Amino acid sequence: MSKVYFSTWRGEQINNIGKPEEEWEISAYNLPEQYNEHAHSKAFIGWDGLALFNPDVDVVRLATEYAAQYQVYSEACGRCAPGRWGGRILYDLLDKIARGEGALSDMEHLKEVSRTMQETSKCEIGKTVPTPLLDLMNHFEAEFVACIESQKPSKHYHMEDTNYIAKITAPCMDACPAHVDIPAYIEGVRDLRFDDSLMATRQTMPLAHTCGRVCPHPCETECRRSNLDEPISIMELKRLGADYETDHGFGFFHPYAQKPSTGKKVAIIGSGPAGLTGAYYLALDGVEVDVYEELPVLGGEVAVGVPEYRMPVDKYNQDIEAVRDLGVNFITNTKVTAEMMRQYENDYDGILIATGTRISKKVYCENERAEIQGYWGAIDFLDKVNLEVKYGIMVPQADQKQHMLDKDYVDLTGKTVVCVGGGFTSMDVVRCSIRANAAKVVMIYRRDERTIINNTTYEEYHEAVEEGVEFIFHSAVAEMRDENNVLKSLLIDRFELVPDPNGGRATLEKIEGASFEMACDYLIPAVSQSADLKLIPQEWEIERTSWGTIKTNGKDYMTSRKGIFAAGDCEYGPMTIVNAVGQAKRAASVMSRYVINGEITLKDDEIMEDHLRKLKVYDKKEKIQGWLPGLPRQHSEVLTVEERRDNNREVKYALTQEEAMSEADRCMRCYYIAMVAH
Amino acid sequence: MINFTINNQPVTALKGETILQAARKAGFYIPTMCYLEKTTPCASCRLCVVETDKTDGLILSCQTPPTQGLAVSIDSERLQTERTNIMRMYDVNHPLECGVCDKSGACDLQNKTLEFGVSSQHFSAKEQHRKIEHWGLINYDPSLCILCEKCVHVCNEIIGDDAIELQFGGYKSAVIPKNSDVLDCTFCGECIAVCPVGALVSSKFQYSANAWELTQIPATCAHCSAGCSLTYEVRHTSNSLGAKPKIYRVTNNFEVATLCGAGRFGFDFDIQAAKDEALFEKAVLAFQNATAIRFSSLITNEEALILQRLKEKLGVKLFNEEARAYQSFMHAYSSISGKSAFSGSLDAIAQSDAIIVMGGRVSTDNPAVRYAMTTAARHNGAKIVYMHPLEDALLQNVVTQNIRYEAGSEEGVIAMLAKTLLEGCDVDDAIKAFLENLDEGYLCAESNVGDEEFAQISKSLRRAKRKTLIVGSDVLSHNRAANIARLCALIETHTDFSLIVIPQTVNTVGVSLICDLDKDEKIANVVGYNAQGDFVIGSMGECVMAMPSLNSQEGTFVSINYQLLATNVAVAFEGHCLNDIAQALGLKALNTIDYTAQLPVEKGFKAVEFDMLGNFYGALGEDYRGYQLETMDGELEGVLEEIDDLPEFNGTVIYQCNPVNQFNAYTARTSQLEADTSLRGSVQFATAARISDGDSISIEGREGTRVFIIDETLKGTIALLPTYDTAFSGAHEGYRFEKIKLQRMGS
Repeated sequence: MSKVYFSTWRGEQINNIGKPEEEWEISAYNLPEQYNEHAHSKAFIGWDGLALFNPDVDVVRLATEYAAQYQVYSEACGRCAPGRWGGRILYDLLDKIARGEGALSDMEHLKEVSRTMQETSKCEIGKTVPTPLLDLMNHFEAEFVACIESQKPSKHYHMEDTNYIAKITAPCMDACPAHVDIPAYIEGVRDLRFDDSLMATRQTMPLAHTCGRVCPHPCETECRRSNLDEPISIMELKRLGADYETDHGFGFFHPYAQKPSTGKKVAIIGSGPAGLTGAYYLALDGVEVDVYEELPVLGGEVAVGVPEYRMPVDKYNQDIEAVRDLGVNFITNTKVTAEMMRQYENDYDGILIATGTRISKKVYCENERAEIQGYWGAIDFLDKVNLEVKYGIMVPQADQKQHMLDKDYVDLTGKTVVCVGGGFTSMDVVRCSIRANAAKVVMIYRRDERTIINNTTYEEYHEAVEEGVEFIFHSAVAEMRDENNVLKSLLIDRFELVPDPNGGRATLEKIEGASFEMACDYLIPAVSQSADLKLIPQEWEIERTSWGTIKTNGKDYMTSRKGIFAAGDCEYGPMTIVNAVGQAKRAASVMSRYVINGEITLKDDEIMEDHLRKLKVYDKKEKIQGWLPGLPRQHSEVLTVEERRDNNREVKYALTQEEAMSEADRCMRCYYIAMVAH
Repeated sequence: MINFTINNQPVTALKGETILQAARKAGFYIPTMCYLEKTTPCASCRLCVVETDKTDGLILSCQTPPTQGLAVSIDSERLQTERTNIMRMYDVNHPLECGVCDKSGACDLQNKTLEFGVSSQHFSAKEQHRKIEHWGLINYDPSLCILCEKCVHVCNEIIGDDAIELQFGGYKSAVIPKNSDVLDCTFCGECIAVCPVGALVSSKFQYSANAWELTQIPATCAHCSAGCSLTYEVRHTSNSLGAKPKIYRVTNNFEVATLCGAGRFGFDFDIQAAKDEALFEKAVLAFQNATAIRFSSLITNEEALILQRLKEKLGVKLFNEEARAYQSFMHAYSSISGKSAFSGSLDAIAQSDAIIVMGGRVSTDNPAVRYAMTTAARHNGAKIVYMHPLEDALLQNVVTQNIRYEAGSEEGVIAMLAKTLLEGCDVDDAIKAFLENLDEGYLCAESNVGDEEFAQISKSLRRAKRKTLIVGSDVLSHNRAANIARLCALIETHTDFSLIVIPQTVNTVGVSLICDLDKDEKIANVVGYNAQGDFVIGSMGECVMAMPSLNSQEGTFVSINYQLLATNVAVAFEGHCLNDIAQALGLKALNTIDYTAQLPVEKGFKAVEFDMLGNFYGALGEDYRGYQLETMDGELEGVLEEIDDLPEFNGTVIYQCNPVNQFNAYTARTSQLEADTSLRGSVQFATAARISDGDSISIEGREGTRVFIIDETLKGTIALLPTYDTAFSGAHEGYRFEKIKLQRMGS
């Protein structure tokens, strides 16, 4: 909802011209009325229309400036004849009118060029730039004609009183928490320029191998192609660039040349996706970075949480090496304490906390005691599995004893494992248990099958079922039963979904008498994780969220203490890799300026990024033109159950080149230009 | 198979085919400016838009496969209007210099401008002033460039240089060298070929002739064994009476075929001579008195047959060590495979998704092989294993695994490769025993290739479906060549690999099929034909009597595809030719090409007259060049021999290997090709040989001195020694690696 003077955004027709302000009709969209804390917006113009926030906007100049952006944003254009020349003709003609030299025939030529661009351009920029221009020429024709007839410049033509801030976006880029330039990396695949593809990815996402495999790809949910048939297999196309670099032994294709050293130093606590991302972009900006890692290995939860069969460690290490290649210094086996933090605050120009959430939450059942043998937190369980599988680091004797292992690795032969969860972590637990040769593996989940698929992915759930995991839905552990502190069985309650007679949300209600006992050797809680923030000195009084994570404003990622930043799960709570990457990328950008001038600022690009996310670029209802529907999405081959069940081979093959090309060809290059005048 | 309609007529498309491809096959015309059949669609010109019954807007036919039952319309008024507008945009500020532009008369922009009736500049935009770039053999004029991107696509997807890219900048976009200020590439000139306008041109050809004045002579490139198709474009040099014509340039059918820089720029190697009867008599006498004729494989099939007939008639021996090595290799190959020719081809390489190369520096030996590998790497994501003692920087962006074996250890390497690839194949007990008895420890240690490297090959080829083994010319002259050939045949017979062997010279294959060759001996009274001898005739080196070079001859070659290819006279030679001598010696044929139909049918040739041979590609890329030789059955009498002790090459070693675009004495004397004759080695080589960059050196047992240059892309103690600049053909005889003694002559 926004207050507008005039709007054609997404087809709405709001015209408050001449009406008293209190009678103004309100726009249904979250338009960027307020550019930032210092400035009100005057106008917003983009691919799907425009909005004026005050009557004093020079619409002729606005049109000219929008057309000019098409020239400026050259990385996205210059690729097709109508866009390349048409865009220039639009600008030249509009500027001619705006400066008072236009002719009426120019208006006709503008319309003609616009039509050809809309019909034949390669990408959506070419197709949509004319849209708001035609809107302006239709609704404010008088102002254009006035410039032409009087042969005088438009009212603000020679004034420098307005800033025009533009931003390239696309539905997928907007949906991606790291705002990866997805159309560019897909274009790299389509053009068989895999180095360009990878460099496009690395502009905002250093973990190309990783996020080519284990990203929940929110971008695909907002892929415009799904309005036509099925979304593009966006995530997997990322792997082609990464594999090209790795397969041919090239060095590392960084997105731009590393800037010369600024002489500034930053400490990053944690080497998971957020820590690595922060380090990567700070290093690219010429900041010296020390990354402290508690574990003996780098990579955080992706290294010790995500199993080898989903994310082969040699590929993850490639991503890590790309970070190291920029001179980032990694210090492992170092658990940072509050005392060290106090020291770091003096030693470094800034600190980024990226310690994730590594404490497994309880399931909250009767007799839930950590000392019961067989009760094993998901994070610790996955640590032990992955350290051995990926790095050959065996389980220490004390842990073997605690977890009743008779070998120095996690071997569950003959054992029954019950996991309580419903998210990715619990899926990793049950599938690792299968691979550790457990006799029976059960997942206890409070809600239904559909929800578990929503929380993870269809493939993940389906593959777990194929491998033999038993899912019990609408159930919860009521009690742990032990003998001498050794887990023997669980009492499981059953629930049912009872619709609200008043039409509200259905509620889960326990089915009396349906509870049952299940013998088991291990209960692995994987319901959620919380952050361990003991490293933060008490006296810093850093603000926390109500769910126990570090509080920031979600824009610049600075904590309540100056110079201390936080990103990733320790800020947001347990979330995705790509979310951590997006946050850390932004934090690194803010920090790279902060270490130089001590100020917390956002770039225009970042401000626009946030505005657009609020507005939402993807329009589910849009009808697609200019693309043939019915071309099926390609699916990469998966190992058979027999091939994968008892080992850690990567479950999913990459798309073949043929499949990848076919996917890339389906991409519609839905780039858009949005612009705010303030 | 997808059934759909175009303009209400039924059309079918194969899986993966686009609407444009299906339309062209069915004979429909859809205009394009940026489409190139051999690359992925550039999709920049947007002229190929069409309408369908299932879409609202216009869709792009070059990148859209049809769906079942789709009704496509390709030439409505709406389409015509939009296409015309696009042409009007293309014409905005395009310089009106057709009068001097090289492309005029063969320009896509001119043609389409006429086709769409754009007679004046309808739209306008601010003019830009842009600088013409001079990149050595290539000039680039950005103001003429229409940014179709064809050049960028071929350079990356087919050639593999990846040396140019688009500088995105909207209206200011341009083609620029990639990662470099000036163009740094192998100068294949394919970018010039595909340029639809006059933006990318040959700097030497520029302003020298108009397209319509040139006579086009279809021919076959003489520089390597690929037998690429090319067209010599010839014109008189002045209007005065009797002015001799010359070759102005070489072009190629870039839509379907590709040409390297030697083919494109190395065309002016023709020589001239008048008939000298006295000399002719002496030549005839020399043949009559000869004990042997020594010749190179830079020869047509017809002349090779003349030499064979002379052998039969005069009882002389025929020496050609290079072709003889290939002949014995193929003989040993047939003894295991049971057939006269291998199954692979350049096309098979390009279609592969897995390739193993061993025993040759293919990127410079045979650029067509490199281009096929690049095509496979880019288009099929092929896994490419490159096995050679020297890594090849030119292949970095196609090779996925480099295996460096010790020079000389090829027999051991191919044996281990056979064991790796035959794993799990159904073979008889003898082969099983042979593979099991291989002394793996010894072979791996002496070849310096670890088990894990072979294991990695198996792993990376796991998903591959179309595999090719490429064997280079190093092994042809290896003293264990026969057993290597048998092992290659073993792999080809029992696995799903196809095999292709890459000899060096344009007609090594043809000579090996036509001539009964003798082991070369240092005997007296040898007539040399483009080779050493006591009486030397030919078109290169110091010849007593000049003979026509290969661009002044009619005749045929046999390529590595076992395809017979015709070549024609670009510029006429006025002296005597081999057939004249043969006639004087009693052979009857009036013209050399009378022998074409007499080529030995038992070797797979067909009794087809020269004038009946095609030399062109069809509109859809069909190959109408010459004919494919029959593969003949061979006798399966071969037995695998035990692997011999692997030789060692220690100290300073050279590898006979030509620089990019250089092959032989022909290329050496052309005017445009860079003629680098330096010995190139690594820093390590320099240290071992106690020489420095820029030193003048001499090699014991070889004439002359050379400059030594340190090449940062090389590693190890093997240096690259060019052979193209030695007097005759440039083909190396004997094994390509050689231990040498170097002497520093100065710096």
